[in-house]
Amino acid sequence: MSIETLAAPTALKRMFYREAIARAMREKMMLDERIIILGQDVGSFGGSYREFDGLFETFGPQRVRDTPVAEAAMIGIGVGAAAAGLRPLVSITYMDFIMLGLDPLVNYGAKVRYKTGGQLTAPVVVKLTAGAKGQGVAHSQCIEAWLMGVPGLRVVAPSTPADSYGLMRTALDCDGPVVFVDHKRLFPIPGDVPVEPTDTPFGKAAILRAGSDVTITTHSFMTRVAMEAATALARDGVSCEVIDLRSLAPLDIETVAASVGRTGALLTLEEGQATCGVGAEVIAQVQTQLGPMPFARVGALPAPVSSNPVLEAACVPDAERVCAAVRQLLRLG
Amino acid sequence: MIYKLSVPVVADDVEEFRVLEWHGVVGDKFEPDGLIVELETHKAVVEVRAGQKGLFRQIFVEDGAWCQINVPLALFSDEPDEALPEAAEGAYDLVVDFDVT
Repeated sequence: MSIETLAAPTALKRMFYREAIARAMREKMMLDERIIILGQDVGSFGGSYREFDGLFETFGPQRVRDTPVAEAAMIGIGVGAAAAGLRPLVSITYMDFIMLGLDPLVNYGAKVRYKTGGQLTAPVVVKLTAGAKGQGVAHSQCIEAWLMGVPGLRVVAPSTPADSYGLMRTALDCDGPVVFVDHKRLFPIPGDVPVEPTDTPFGKAAILRAGSDVTITTHSFMTRVAMEAATALARDGVSCEVIDLRSLAPLDIETVAASVGRTGALLTLEEGQATCGVGAEVIAQVQTQLGPMPFARVGALPAPVSSNPVLEAACVPDAERVCAAVRQLLRLG
Repeated sequence: MIYKLSVPVVADDVEEFRVLEWHGVVGDKFEPDGLIVELETHKAVVEVRAGQKGLFRQIFVEDGAWCQINVPLALFSDEPDEALPEAAEGAYDLVVDFDVT
């Protein structure tokens, strides 16, 4: 199954998701020696998901630094080093453990520009890998919704190798803290990436599939679930427009609102909790622009995600659940 | 006998992989434990080693190209003059070991 994007560039190279990240890192690290990497197994091991493969060999231990499992310290050091003039990327293997580093990330990283009247900023990229993949309640969470509303923090979540490459390049150029959210289940999936160095802008969603009956907004691994559901629904004559948000803060509500203006109905899909989730924000903002319309949210069931595969599958949204939600939203039988 | 090589479902959600390097060309013979091809998944490099004798007859997926699981990568045979089938899928599976490096 392939995901189509609008405006495909001419020369493309197929690569794994991890290779796209490593490529973005390499290109930017060659140009800017202030960029360093901190994290577990980022050095000679090449990254927990091999997403920093080869960088240690090229840039050495001063710039690619293994850290102990100490997320509060890693983020504290990353944010402080950023304020002092470096441009660190802090790699947290599981998104769940950002919780340990929320204070330095939010209370210092996101706020330092405000606190110092612009004299200091913290250009740090905090890379987190979210998602359920058999590893249980403390290694499965998708909590990007917790971070979207933090003033001063940008949050992006690519769903393809091309977007992981482009968004990482943009993140490394940013003037403030960026949370970059991968997903464990995206790493096995290769995709085509532009051969020419290309940035993906923040605040710009991508329409993956044009449709006329309902707009489905989503991000990260759930884009694949949305596309699977759209294919299934098309067989029943229901036309879904699927939008990959890509950027959660800033959110591209213009693209979503324009789409919902055409389709008349909005379904939001996320792997995280629906309560106070990404979808809740999208719906509120779209309705602020367009007024009321039929809407529905699909998210994980309100339970921690078990390592038991049956329970995990029951908790995390799948194409079947999305199809049922669309049918209910559109009041089809 | 004609044999095909395809990569079965292995761990880690591997659906698509890259062929890194064939260690033989059409006509080359191999013995048990000979290295046939190196593949790359999202996690690791995989050495495909022969579990039988044979020789290379036809390569469908070249070095650097991508392939899906369960799709034939190449055909092999016991003897050089055995006729190749129309459809590779019907051939027996080459006996191989997949060594994850």
